[in-house]
Amino acid sequence: MRGVRWVAGGAALIAVPWLVAAVLPGQQRYILHVLVFTALFGALALSYDLVVGHVGSLSLAHPAFFGVGAYGAALLATEARWPFAAALAAGLVLAGLAALVVGVPMFRLTEHSFAMGTLGLALVTQIVATNWVDFTRGPLCVTGIPKPQVGDFRITTLPGFYWMGLATLGLVALLYHGLTTFRLGRAFHAVRDNETLASSAAIDPLRYRMLAFTIAGALAGGVGALYASYVGVLCPGELSVSLSVNLLVMLFLGGVGSLRGVVVGAAAFTALPEVLRMAPTWRMVIYGLLLLVIVIRVPDGLEGVLQRRTGRRRGPAPGA
Amino acid sequence: MALFETRGLTKRFLGVTAVDGVDLAVEAGELVSLIGPNGSGKTTLFNCVTGYLAPDGGRVLFRGQDVTGAAPHRIARLGVGRTFQLVSVFPRLSALENLLTFLQQHQEERFFGRLLRAPGVRRLEAAAVERARSLLDSVGLGARERAPAGTLSYGQRKLLAFAAALMPDPELLLLDEPAAAVNPTMIEQMKAQIRALHRAGKTVLLVEHNMDVVMDISQRVVVLDHGQKIAEGPPEAVRRDPKVIEAYFGR
Repeated sequence: MRGVRWVAGGAALIAVPWLVAAVLPGQQRYILHVLVFTALFGALALSYDLVVGHVGSLSLAHPAFFGVGAYGAALLATEARWPFAAALAAGLVLAGLAALVVGVPMFRLTEHSFAMGTLGLALVTQIVATNWVDFTRGPLCVTGIPKPQVGDFRITTLPGFYWMGLATLGLVALLYHGLTTFRLGRAFHAVRDNETLASSAAIDPLRYRMLAFTIAGALAGGVGALYASYVGVLCPGELSVSLSVNLLVMLFLGGVGSLRGVVVGAAAFTALPEVLRMAPTWRMVIYGLLLLVIVIRVPDGLEGVLQRRTGRRRGPAPGA
Repeated sequence: MALFETRGLTKRFLGVTAVDGVDLAVEAGELVSLIGPNGSGKTTLFNCVTGYLAPDGGRVLFRGQDVTGAAPHRIARLGVGRTFQLVSVFPRLSALENLLTFLQQHQEERFFGRLLRAPGVRRLEAAAVERARSLLDSVGLGARERAPAGTLSYGQRKLLAFAAALMPDPELLLLDEPAAAVNPTMIEQMKAQIRALHRAGKTVLLVEHNMDVVMDISQRVVVLDHGQKIAEGPPEAVRRDPKVIEAYFGR
């Protein structure tokens, strides 16, 4: 039965562009655009949750890795004329390497100083992107970033980007699931719950934190590269601290440490402001109030509501 | 050769010498208790030998290998298990998962094997689950295996932490006050557990304040006062030692 539901759900997700075209033909472009963003930010939020939700380190450096991947891939594709797949791989690897290099000194800091240190890293990255005009074109932005192309296969249409986003989200979700369950997940959660005790269980806390941080950084870089190639223009503003804030809202809105929760949180966060466009003046006010209500009423996020509704609570809630 | 040994172990905190040149040797299969008044350096000594504190002087040897200043996870990997004075579990993992966490690093550490759940890793996991269940049963927590450890009572968490330390079948087990803040029934249960370990040939070093427990189960007692070893010997002899009586009750 579960297999059937998965196939049906997957088929429905793949069929979305046609469904939208059939039901709301006039709105198709707009809805698909929002869905591409939802999928990409869902993938980004999942990568972020590896660090925040599973090893329990409040990193604010995620925009930096997103930026390294996005700028790396975009500049290689425009300036050096690298093919898409190579630029994407380079974005992934560069961001992963960046995480590996800064992770070692950052994890020497504990809790609040770790948050401050990683925040500093995000700020520095944005400042470099803004001011190193010769390299990044600064506020003039990197323009004309080529669309994804592998051999003769090109993604140019919105449904194409939707499927690309969906595939990205699916792959990241699979990796997230593999990392956060079974033995790896247990080691991550042991480090998160009680570092001292974890080391008495022969777990090296730094090693597992670095593992989560590096994979999260690489994934953020990959999503950044895809994002740049979808939007076509990359500006330093994309790397701002508000990206961290947005990601944190997605996590806490949905449910920290939960695959379904984070995806639901990302979807709600991306779609809600769009839905609220119906009341333009009050949009952000309503939105802010809604967030407040959710955080106060359901501190374990939408995932907590979902679990209570279905009456299934499998094991301890892995929330923050 | 002693299984475990400290030579001139010294640790200072801001000019206070918490552990002062302690020589301690534990033979394989021994059950030794470390006692002393509050602040005599027992827990500091534990933390120095398990890697949580870097000693300022002296050496720590395990099976003749110098492990002075090694990281806690490395010392644990060599087969040294320990429990903590304040009860310590992974609160959001289930009781069963708490135990599993303690064995997996000893079994394998290949990233892709774990990520992809290779058949070999699945077999190890199945064996670990079986061992964890039997240990949970032995401390009377078999029925609570799915309960998040944070929801167990204080005494149950203490037993869980004890069982978890046994998961990798450590060669040397250091127990920091296993009977503290535990009700009398639980103390008897804990004593029986430690005796069973001893009979099974395990080496146990125990820090304990409860003198009944210490005198009852130890083969040998080592007494610390102000960081120095002041007496050592069979329980009965130590109990009558004037220096020990003075350290506990004053002159």
